[in-house]
Amino acid sequence: MKMTLSAQHLWLIPALPLLAAALGALTPRSGRTPAAGAAIGAMVLSFLLSCGALATALAHPAAHATANFTWFAVGDGAVRLGWLLDPLTAFMCVMVSFVSTLIFIFSLGYMKDDANFKQFFCFLSLFAAAMLGILVANSLLLLFVSWELVGLASYLLIGFWFHKPEAAAAAKKAFIVTRIGDLGFLLGILWLYDSTGSLLFYDNGAGVLEPTALGGLAAQTTLCGLALSTAIGLLIFCGAAGKSGQFPLHVWLPDAMEGPTPVSALIHAATMVAAGVFLIARVYPLMAADQLLAGVPVHALTVVAFIGAITALLGALIAVAQNDIKRVLAFSTVSQLGYMMLALGVGSWVAAVFHLLTHAFFKALLFLGAGSVIHAAHHEQDIRKLGGLSQPLRVTFATFAIGMMALAGVPFLFSGFWSKEAILHAAHEWEVSHLPLFAGLAAVVLTAFYMTRLVAETFFGKARSHAAEHVHENSAVMTVPLVLLAVCAIALGFLGTPAFPWLQARLLGETEVHGHSLLDGSGLMLGSIVLVALGLGAGWAVYWRTPRAKDTSPDPLASAAPATIAFLGARMKFDELYAATLGRLNTFLAAFADFLDHWVWGGAVNFLALLGEFSGTVNREADEGGLNAGFDATSEKLRQTGQAYSHAQTGGTHGYLRTVAIGFVVLVLLVMLGGGR
Amino acid sequence: MSPDYTGLFQALRPETSLLFGALVALGLDLSLFRRHTSGERLNLALWIGALAVLAAGAHVWFGPHGPIFGGVLILDPLAVATRLGVLALTLLTLGVATAARTPRNPAEYVAIILFATTGFMLMAAAQQLLLAFLALELASLSLYVLAGFDKTRPESAEAALKYFLFGGMAAAFLLFGFSLIYGLTGSIELLEIARQLTLQGLSPLLVVALVMVLVAFGFKAAAAPFHLWAPDVYEGAPTPSAAFIASASKLAGFTLFARLLWPGLRAAAGNVSTLHGAPGWLPAVAVISAVSLLLGNFAALAQTNVRRLLAYSAIAHAGALLLGVIAAGRSGPAPFFFYAATYGLATVGAFGVLAVVERTGSCQKITDLAGLHRRSPLLAGCLAIFMLSLAGIPPLAGFFGKFTVFAAALQLGGLAGPAGWLAFLAIALSALALYYYLIVLKQALVAPPTANASRIVVPTLARFTLMAAAGLIVLFGVAPSLLLDLF
Repeated sequence: MKMTLSAQHLWLIPALPLLAAALGALTPRSGRTPAAGAAIGAMVLSFLLSCGALATALAHPAAHATANFTWFAVGDGAVRLGWLLDPLTAFMCVMVSFVSTLIFIFSLGYMKDDANFKQFFCFLSLFAAAMLGILVANSLLLLFVSWELVGLASYLLIGFWFHKPEAAAAAKKAFIVTRIGDLGFLLGILWLYDSTGSLLFYDNGAGVLEPTALGGLAAQTTLCGLALSTAIGLLIFCGAAGKSGQFPLHVWLPDAMEGPTPVSALIHAATMVAAGVFLIARVYPLMAADQLLAGVPVHALTVVAFIGAITALLGALIAVAQNDIKRVLAFSTVSQLGYMMLALGVGSWVAAVFHLLTHAFFKALLFLGAGSVIHAAHHEQDIRKLGGLSQPLRVTFATFAIGMMALAGVPFLFSGFWSKEAILHAAHEWEVSHLPLFAGLAAVVLTAFYMTRLVAETFFGKARSHAAEHVHENSAVMTVPLVLLAVCAIALGFLGTPAFPWLQARLLGETEVHGHSLLDGSGLMLGSIVLVALGLGAGWAVYWRTPRAKDTSPDPLASAAPATIAFLGARMKFDELYAATLGRLNTFLAAFADFLDHWVWGGAVNFLALLGEFSGTVNREADEGGLNAGFDATSEKLRQTGQAYSHAQTGGTHGYLRTVAIGFVVLVLLVMLGGGR
Repeated sequence: MSPDYTGLFQALRPETSLLFGALVALGLDLSLFRRHTSGERLNLALWIGALAVLAAGAHVWFGPHGPIFGGVLILDPLAVATRLGVLALTLLTLGVATAARTPRNPAEYVAIILFATTGFMLMAAAQQLLLAFLALELASLSLYVLAGFDKTRPESAEAALKYFLFGGMAAAFLLFGFSLIYGLTGSIELLEIARQLTLQGLSPLLVVALVMVLVAFGFKAAAAPFHLWAPDVYEGAPTPSAAFIASASKLAGFTLFARLLWPGLRAAAGNVSTLHGAPGWLPAVAVISAVSLLLGNFAALAQTNVRRLLAYSAIAHAGALLLGVIAAGRSGPAPFFFYAATYGLATVGAFGVLAVVERTGSCQKITDLAGLHRRSPLLAGCLAIFMLSLAGIPPLAGFFGKFTVFAAALQLGGLAGPAGWLAFLAIALSALALYYYLIVLKQALVAPPTANASRIVVPTLARFTLMAAAGLIVLFGVAPSLLLDLF
């Protein structure tokens, strides 16, 4: 009973930040304190409510508590929405609201000199509201609405410094590229609604994730012999791939680093980019509905696994050759999201969610650490020009190092190790292929390597630019969030160790935890520990032992293999490839559409205008005049038609009353003649 | 059955509250507050009026339901919803009146608004021809006075006279039509008429009677070709009067005539779902609807006066609303009620904005709105919501109104018959309509203010009224079930 009550009040979690965003939008530009206060206050309340929701969810982890309602009814159909409370929702809400709170607080310090300070908090609140909306939605439609809202908030925040052309271009790119994926997502939603007549996830047996609907979806075949559930699942995956920066739609994510660093930490590392992973975890029963079918060309999850594996490896490779501190982290995000997709694909969605949660904390930590460095070093982001920061930035360095070790997967103490281990373990047990496992293992080495390089270049050696020489540790408003996140980056791993996989059990709806000995599958664990050590050692040998002397001195790897590193540094030329193919195609289509618009539609509209003009002459003589192409001329024609009509309005009452009489007679004749038929 | 006067009295408590409020406002104004300034007297009268409207609303909400006094009145969901809608629109009109120029006799002005509202309330529930006619006349006579209330301006007098002549002629048609119907069926009770007509079928005399009713309907709805009064009245009448005529009056009129036509004259409806449908009043309504849609939208394009533009847009909306009335036979009254109520909200709001702008000078031409975003961001924002709702842009209520009406019309028979084609025409013309609404918004939101334009101070009550109207439009657009669930 208590459970349904909580699901009914779940809407409060996104509603509070939404209210804060509305208040923020209405406050004048000078209202910095009220806007930020409302945003942070709402986030804190959301966090407390999320904790309450988590407590309720953990009491009955197997239940999908829902509160559904009819939004509106049209004819016989009705559009229904609702909220859903299960452990997945609850854990995600706690994570998002907690990380958001810390990042909001960090932003107080980071953005304090910005003229649009209040707007920033308004956008951040809007984002948080939409993100939490995705999490609590029990309807694919509501999820999609929130999904597009986070896209909008992301656009606004990437382009927050819109006076920089790169930021404006990056915002546009992010919006358009994710839109490509969302088109597939929308098609999937429509197809699903067409097939099942519902978009609710759980609805007492009538929801799309419940056995009745899933059985029907898996039983039908459609294009190319795919099961219907596979086709819909893959379309939904398009949306997830766009949002989560999966190959081949990953190109927007590194550019998104043009936004303020807290935005990168919150949206493009911890929460929004993980929404794709959450979406697939949420619709996992749909994605997995075709698993038992034999003789279908492909299973949806197989595609997910391979895309994830490619992305994990690709992101790690490109990250090796980046020189901007935020770009390295951005490509590492791409790579880690690939891991999560890999885990989903090989059938262990709980491992994906576990990694999502740990990654959110340590990646937010790394980004905020990078933000702290950038803020201290007067907006210098090039690691070649930094160096020697470990002394002046003690807190930042210590916490960044913890984040780095968590990301690199340093054994036992750090959360990233346990979640990555869970993914590799699941990949090892996958029966279809071991290629994803090998890609994952290769990415383990690369991750350890590029993170060592990042730390060595940024914090060791000596300062290599004027900006890096004069740095001071940031104020407590920025360092305290770092410390809190660092604690989480360590502690969170112990929620899901193989010995006591509490988190996994709760996510799966089990109340009892069945641990394994750490020695089970120890071969794999040992192997990955060796690989981490290999990566760390290589990084130490190349970058740490002999620190860079000047900001212009060549990179040791680039000297060894200049062509490869240049290729990776140019992000494997994906942007150029897209510009040469899709960009050209787009230009061609635009020209074609322009042709249609100008000649075909323009002609048709002109023809209609001609008809309108003709009817105008019933009241007045016809206007003469030829047809010009284009809509401008059309509008003028329509205006003239209107004038022809309104000339009948002379103002004389006699004429008016006569019109009424004529109208009466005509109507009577009409009905009478109609009766004669 | 013996007459149930207690029941009647209980059912008429909302009307009683309104009349009581009107008399109190008049009485206080003539006695205690005679020496006060006209501004104070207006405020007092408006507050009394608002209280009376709120009391009436409470009585409607908690009052009895079902047939009253042997079926003379029917308090079904449509009647209750219309009564609440009319009261809400009256309240907003009173709010608009706080911003407009103070009339010379403020208490009379408010009292007449309340009398008109009483008429609307009875129109919403009347189920007997005599009561329907009386209610309509009570409302119409009050509206004529309201249109001509500003005696200092000749335009106002002209508007009132035209409205009166037109209305008088329409009333004559209606009464003639009613008497023919009485002659044919021997009854003035709608249900009895309906029973008789099913037995009789369509006779030439009935056709004449039907069309006479439709002429009056066309006048009330400002549908072409009976629309000719509308542009002059909207232009000349005091702004709150114009707002009232365009909103509450329209809602009540549509409810009254939908009730006359569907339950009362259903047997003579005919059919417009297929090409070779049966004759009756439906084809005639379809013709009126088509003419209104075409004429309203095209003539609005050419307007330079913002009030005349609103008038022609009202004609176009009347065409779409008639489509909703056509579809009401199958889909029930919910679509056209939703459309009429939300249209009324947007129109009251738009006139409210004009009333506030008028405080700083004339507001007749569209160019008078130039630079409104600089002069008052609140007004510009509210105007954008009202205009976009009129144009039918989601997520505003106007979109959903259009959507439900067109969907209901298309359900009649798809594109196989005139109803479907009309829906199609209306959808196409909506695109056209966006053009002239955007012309207004272009002036308000993009064009720079003229050199001597000052900042506009919006009075608190007017600000509250406009924000309430805009808020309701957004609310009903996002959650249309709030209104649709009344049925």
